[in-house]
Order: sequence, then structure tokens, then C-alpha cells
Amino acid sequence: MAAELDAVITEAGVLDNRPLSAATRLLVLDCPAVARAATPGRFVKLRAWPGPEENLGGPLLDRPFSIHRAEGGQLSLLYRIVGPATRLLSEVSPGAQVRLTGPLGRGLPEALTRRSGLYLVAGGIGLAPMALARDWLASAGGQATLFYGERTAAAQVEESWLKTWAGQDWVATVEDGSGYGRPGLVTEPLAQALQREARPIFACGPWPLLAAVANLARRYSAPALVSVEAGMACGLGVCLTCSLPLAVGGRFRACQEGPVVDALAVDWGAA
Amino acid sequence: MALDLTVKLGPLTLKNPVMTASGTFGYGLELKKFCPPELLGAVITKGVSLTPWPGNPGPRLAETAGGMLNAIGLQNMGLEAFVQTALPPLKAAGATVVANILGHSPEEYGRLAARLALTAVDMIEVNVSCPNVVCGGLAIGAEPSAVAEVAGAVRESCGAKPFMVKLTPQASDVVAVALAAETAGATAVSLINTLPGLAVDLERRRPRLANIIGGLSGPAVKPVALKQVWQCASALTIPVVGLGGITSARDALEFILVGAAAVQIGTATLVDPRAPLTILDNIRQWMLKEGLDDLSQLRGALKIG
Ligand SMILES: Cc1cc2nc3c(=O)[nH]c(=O)nc-3n(C[C@H](O)[C@H](O)[C@H](O)COP(=O)(O)OP(=O)(O)OC[C@H]3O[C@@H](n4cnc5c(N)ncnc54)[C@H](O)[C@@H]3O)c2cc1C
Ligand SMILES: Cc1cc2nc3c(=O)[nH]c(=O)nc-3n(C[C@H](O)[C@H](O)[C@H](O)COP(=O)(O)O)c2cc1C
Ligand code: FES
Repeated sequence: MAAELDAVITEAGVLDNRPLSAATRLLVLDCPAVARAATPGRFVKLRAWPGPEENLGGPLLDRPFSIHRAEGGQLSLLYRIVGPATRLLSEVSPGAQVRLTGPLGRGLPEALTRRSGLYLVAGGIGLAPMALARDWLASAGGQATLFYGERTAAAQVEESWLKTWAGQDWVATVEDGSGYGRPGLVTEPLAQALQREARPIFACGPWPLLAAVANLARRYSAPALVSVEAGMACGLGVCLTCSLPLAVGGRFRACQEGPVVDALAVDWGAA
Repeated sequence: MALDLTVKLGPLTLKNPVMTASGTFGYGLELKKFCPPELLGAVITKGVSLTPWPGNPGPRLAETAGGMLNAIGLQNMGLEAFVQTALPPLKAAGATVVANILGHSPEEYGRLAARLALTAVDMIEVNVSCPNVVCGGLAIGAEPSAVAEVAGAVRESCGAKPFMVKLTPQASDVVAVALAAETAGATAVSLINTLPGLAVDLERRRPRLANIIGGLSGPAVKPVALKQVWQCASALTIPVVGLGGITSARDALEFILVGAAAVQIGTATLVDPRAPLTILDNIRQWMLKEGLDDLSQLRGALKIG
């Protein structure tokens, strides 16, 4: 049966909603109730448009977003505009209120030995949970190396902003070869680093990237945790829309047993 | 003014007319922090089958205009786990519990009902939207004769437990199916279940659900539900429980106006887990504003002509 929910449902004031690339935005919210309980890899569901009971149209369901950062009562989300809900969110101005439910799901395990450090692997908007993971490691003297891959230069977040939280220890890759960082796939520098030192991995990004990370983790005997995505209706464990296959057979709920799970526990061949 | 919100479904008295719809409130306790189940008229639990069902591969969800398609594939923990692990704490919490069941044949439904007859469940809800293995995959609920057989099997096995048959909007003549359930001894009927639908990804040229077809729910289905509930309530003598796209107290009251004895809240709970309680509170507010002290003054009061 489900673990006791520690989520709250609350209105949060928008402090900032600013562009970091053509389609990427940083949303900063005044939300002490959720910020207090936030841990890396957990997520919130958010609504920045009227509820269905108001009969004004707009997306029916709330949308899930990873917690990007939580500091001093502020909660930030990093998101990409991909459809109607994220477009509506991008139109929200400071001073407005949005509805948040969270924190939800399971993040990085508390028991993780933070001092042995982590390779943080982000594909595209999978960058979102990495800042909080980095803060959390740093608070215990753990080292984080960030590997951040994008398809195109246009998708890359502003380099100066990335440096404000990622420090010095990061590698960016870009598939089209322009922009900052190295041309190619993010798994290439990751494989090189694993060859030098098989540190534990925390990865977030598209399914094929996570599947590739699982393979690398197996090859280099490195523990790997991944944040998985699935369409979610409730985010609270009751609807079973977010179910994903386990390697041993059976399924798990991405919103409840995840989104952060052991990469080797997932059946990457199915969906 | 003291409001009387109680509703009778055969021998069972509900505290109030607001229930949760099966599959949208888990096994009843998951959302208790936001919606204490004992405050509702009843909790209808996720449909259970004789043995656990694994459900469909993903993606299982596609949002559509004013609604959503789901293709869970009736994944559930199975009857025995439900009876032994889910039911006792839910009853202990003080909830009125309606157990939703699903099977492939009248015999399976009969066995489910026989087992539940020996438990503390307050009522059984019989989901007849599943494919009928005996008659080639058509939903059992599409045919009056198939529904009569299933309802008859449940009637014979359920002892003194009341049961309601949950009708599918796929039936070409929903009133005929509802009458078949009534004749076979159902205590009540509930409707509607989801409507089969398709969503496609234009660029990828693919269906958006792994199962291709999903069940449509949410505000988009409300007019269809309201019409079928009105038709059934007009034709039946047993109570009709209405659902489909209810997101507000006004929606719920509209179902009661066309004749529903009580209502169920489904997709709205997925959007906001407090929805059933908010709707119940706002029903009370509306009654006070309208000077109604019980809902029988509204029930079936739709003026025609
Ligand atoms: C646990 C979790 C955490 C998330 N964290 C973040 C985050 O931090 N930042 C962020 O920008 N996004 C995140 N997402 C994804 C985000 O929820 C979706 O981008 C958002 O719901 C899209 O809504 P929309 O209405 O704008 O687009 P939609 O119309 O819903 O989708 C637009 C397009 O994107 C595709 N799409 C939508 N959702 C998904 C998905 N889950 N997986 C793959 N393709 C999808 C659709 O197929 C469609 O082609 C997360 C998702 C989950 C499950
Ligand atoms: C995710 C999901 C799961 C469902 N599972 C069941 C189920 O197990 N048994 C059942 O009888 N109905 C099930 N339903 C149907 C609902 O109970 C309800 O009939 C339908 O969603 C219409 O009501 P709504 O618009 O208020 O959601 C499910 C619906 C959803 C959205
Ligand atoms: S989103 Fe509903 S169970 Fe995970």
C-alpha cells in the first residue's frame, strides 16, 4: 500500500518566470510549504490555468515538474515549452498565483552515500532536477560532475546561468556541434569518466538516454539512479496511468515508487 | 436549517449522495489526507477480478479536449488481496464501501460476488464494460441478455448484499440494458462508464496509447452521461446513480435534477483529490441558498414542455 503522502496542495506566488533559451524557462515560486519538504528528484504537479469546475477550458490535468531548486522558502522549476500547458505557464507573470501539489514521489534515496559523489547526467530538460541534487551532495561534502547534453545550440540554456549553480565541474555536449561544449552525445564523456572512475550516476532525460545510461552502468558496474517520465493523470498513486515495466516482470507507478528508481530495475525494452 | 443529505439505495443508506468513481480513488485510503473517505456517501474501490490483472503496456494516458483517454487495462490487485489487505483498514476508517468487480463471464462475476458476500463490503458495483469472452469480445454491457445473465449470477451469489450494475454508454439501447439489470434483481444501476476513443500523434503517425483505444472521461462526456441518466431514471423504478464529467456541485446537482439518486466523482478527483468533498460542501451551500432541506425536492424535477 502507498506510503503516507507528505504532499500539500497550496497556492504559490510567482516571483520570476524568465527565459534561459528560446523554449526553456525558470519559474521561481514563493512556496515555503513545499520548499521545506523538497528533496532531489521529487516533483510537484502544477496548474497555472483555471480548474475544470470553472468551465473556462484549458488543459484538464495538472502537469508534473521536477523540483529544480528549493532555498529559503522559494521553489524553482525549470521547464520547456512543448505544448498547451507549458505555453500557458510561460505566459504567467510575477505576482500571479499558481496551484502546486507536492512534493510528490520518491527522489534520491536518503541512504545514498553522498560523500562518494555522483555523476549527474541530464538530457535536455532532464537538467531540471540536477541543481537540487548538486546542492544536496555539496551539503555533505560530495562531489558532483554534471554531464548536460542537448540536440541543438538553440536548446542549450544560457551558459552563464548554468555556471551559477553547476560550478566548474561540468561538461556540455551538443549534437549539432554548434553552441558551447563538445559536439556529440552526452553518453560519450560519461563513458570516458566511468572508465576513469566508476562513480554512482543520477540521470534524467528521454527514455532512450536513460536506457543507454542503464547499459553504461551495467558495463562499468556503477550504481545508477534514473528519473523516469510517464504521462500522469493524478500524480498521487491512484489512477495507474503512469505505470512502467519492471525488469523482473510486473510494473511500478512512476509517480509513487518513482520517479527516481534504480536503472537496473526498469525493463528498458518495453514501455 | 438541518439538511438531510441521506440517500437510500435499496437497504443501504448513504450519508450523502457523493461517492468516488471506481479507478479514480485507488483502494480508498491513498488520498485520505485530502479527502477522508468516511465523510463521503461511499467509496467505490478500484475494480477487482478473481486474480490480479497486470493491465496494459504504456503509454496509458492521452489528454484530449476537456477530457482524457485512459487505457489501464483494468490492472488490479485481485480479489483476495483486496479482501484481506485493502478492505479491513478502509472499513475501520468508517467508510461505506462499494466494491467494484469485473470478470469475463457470468460465472466469474458469480464467484466474485459470493466471496464479497462474506465480507464487510456494504455494496457491490458490477462493471460490465469488459469484453465478453463468450461472445467474441463485445462488451458484456452492450447486450441486455448478457447483462441479465451477469446480474442474475451476482443476484444468486451475493446473499443479502445490495448490488448495482454499472452500465456502459456503448450500448445501442442503454434503457433496455438498464431494464434487464432491474429485472434480474439489481438494487440500482450506475452510469456512465468511459466512452471508447482514439487519439493520434499526427507527426509520428501513431496512436497516442499503446493499447490504441482508450476510455474517455472528464467534462467532455458529461452531456452524454446526463442524457443517458435522464433516460434511465425516467424508465426505471430502482435508483440510478449518475456519473461522467462531474467537476462541480452544479454538475452533480444537474444529474440529480434529471433523476439521479446519487453521483460519483471520477476524473475530477485525479485533477484535485479534494474534489468529492468540495462538491459535497458546495451542494450543501446550494441547498441553503435555494432553501431546500432535502434533495428529493430537486430529484427528477426537470421540467419538460
Ligand atoms: C515526474 C515528471 C517530472 C517532469 N519534470 C519536468 C521538468 O522539470 N521540466 C519540464 O519541462 N518538463 C517536465 N516533465 C514533462 C512535463 O510534465 C511535460 O512537458 C508537460 O506535461 C507537457 O504539457 P503540455 O500541455 O505543454 O504539452 P502536451 O500537449 O502534454 O505535450 C506536448 C508534446 O510533448 C509530448 N510529451 C508530453 N508529455 C510528455 C512526457 N511526459 N514524456 C514524453 N513526451 C511528452 C507529447 O507527446 C506532445 O508531443 C516532467 C514529467 C514528469 C512525469
Ligand atoms: C484512470 C481511470 C480508471 C478507471 N477504472 C475503472 C474501473 O476499474 N472500474 C470501473 O467500473 N470504472 C473505471 N473507470 C471509469 C470511472 O469510474 C468513470 O465511470 C468514468 O471515468 C466517468 O466518470 P468521470 O468523467 O467522472 O471520470 C476508470 C476511469 C479512469 C479515468
Ligand atoms: S499518475 Fe496516477 S498513479 Fe501515477
